[in-house]
Amino acid sequence: MLLPKSLHKNTNIKIKRVGFSVADTQDQTVERVLVTPTLFQIFMAFLKIGVTSFGGSSRAQMYDESVERHAWLTEKDFLTGFAVAQVLPGANPVNLALYIGLRARGRLGATIAVLGMVIPAFCIILLMGFAYKQLSDYPATHFVLGGVAAAGVGATLAIGVKVTTRLERHVLPILTALIVFGVVGLLHWPMVPVVLVAVPFSVGLAYVKARKQAAETGK
Amino acid sequence: MTDNRLIGLVLVFAPLSLLSFGGGQAVVADIGHQTVGVQQWLTGPQFQDMFAISRAAPGPSTLIAALIGYQVSGFLGAIIATLAIYVPSSIVVYYISKWWQNHPVSLIKTAVENGLAPVAIGLIFAGAVAVIESAPITALTLATTAACTAVLFYTKVSPYLLVLGVAATYLGIVFVV
Repeated sequence: MLLPKSLHKNTNIKIKRVGFSVADTQDQTVERVLVTPTLFQIFMAFLKIGVTSFGGSSRAQMYDESVERHAWLTEKDFLTGFAVAQVLPGANPVNLALYIGLRARGRLGATIAVLGMVIPAFCIILLMGFAYKQLSDYPATHFVLGGVAAAGVGATLAIGVKVTTRLERHVLPILTALIVFGVVGLLHWPMVPVVLVAVPFSVGLAYVKARKQAAETGK
Repeated sequence: MTDNRLIGLVLVFAPLSLLSFGGGQAVVADIGHQTVGVQQWLTGPQFQDMFAISRAAPGPSTLIAALIGYQVSGFLGAIIATLAIYVPSSIVVYYISKWWQNHPVSLIKTAVENGLAPVAIGLIFAGAVAVIESAPITALTLATTAACTAVLFYTKVSPYLLVLGVAATYLGIVFVV
């Protein structure tokens, strides 16, 4: 374990932890002093991300803000959070914000990060909802929104296709995806019971397989 | 009446919050089925409009819950629906994040990641179908969907710019025709 050299002793930032991250100078790992942000800084950072992120761009913005620019947490820590946010239920960007806030400032930081992500964006979408109520008598409104929805479906499908190409090419995972799609998408079964059955089944299968692979490589 | 609707919003969104593996995309199908089919709070075209607004708005796409809450029960409905969709999942993420930091168990982690992927994929495609079937399909919307899917899959164009471009094109069509 590398120990920090005497870094920035004269700066007045609060030094709490020391992390490592790849520096801009080529192939040299440079220690970076992690900075503990104030709650206000957390709120403002996520407010900015909340109102300027559209369709998936928020991850890159969060990385930039929390690792590159401010060094609130290490890159490795960020990637762990990324995986956690992806795997757990909930909106991915909100989960990731919560994780970053938690790492930087504990429970309060997590709360502030989520509020920063949600409240301003909530106000904007409500204004849009209000405008929609005023304009919903005009056929043109529905026509234009129909186009936007069609584009949104395109975005959803593109994400679906991208994730599908990364799926393991085995019968059971593919069958699971098809069955879930069939019963929820085509037969309109409620999602809650379907997910409650499908997730333990699918994770259980993946666990058995991961253990088998681990045993084989262990030999 | 209003109280029932507020409770209804919680009952629809809170379970989805806990089971939205794969993010906001994955719960769109069930939000559509529940609000249009089961509860009949919205018509199909209204639901499709809500989906469109949530795609055009900044921030997390799960804020479609706020829009639906507002449509169903006004400002209070928007707040209740937003809390219902974010609070349960945030509590889970908070505790599991803390646990995950202390127990980086790679085997379970791999199993969870690999096991959730197929379920999320099924739900994502179901969401696309739910939006498509909620309003009459025209050749124009089908072409739009196909073109956007291809552009977003093969290029790195920002989805938001594409949505804006489509909105502008459709507005143009309104004024020309």
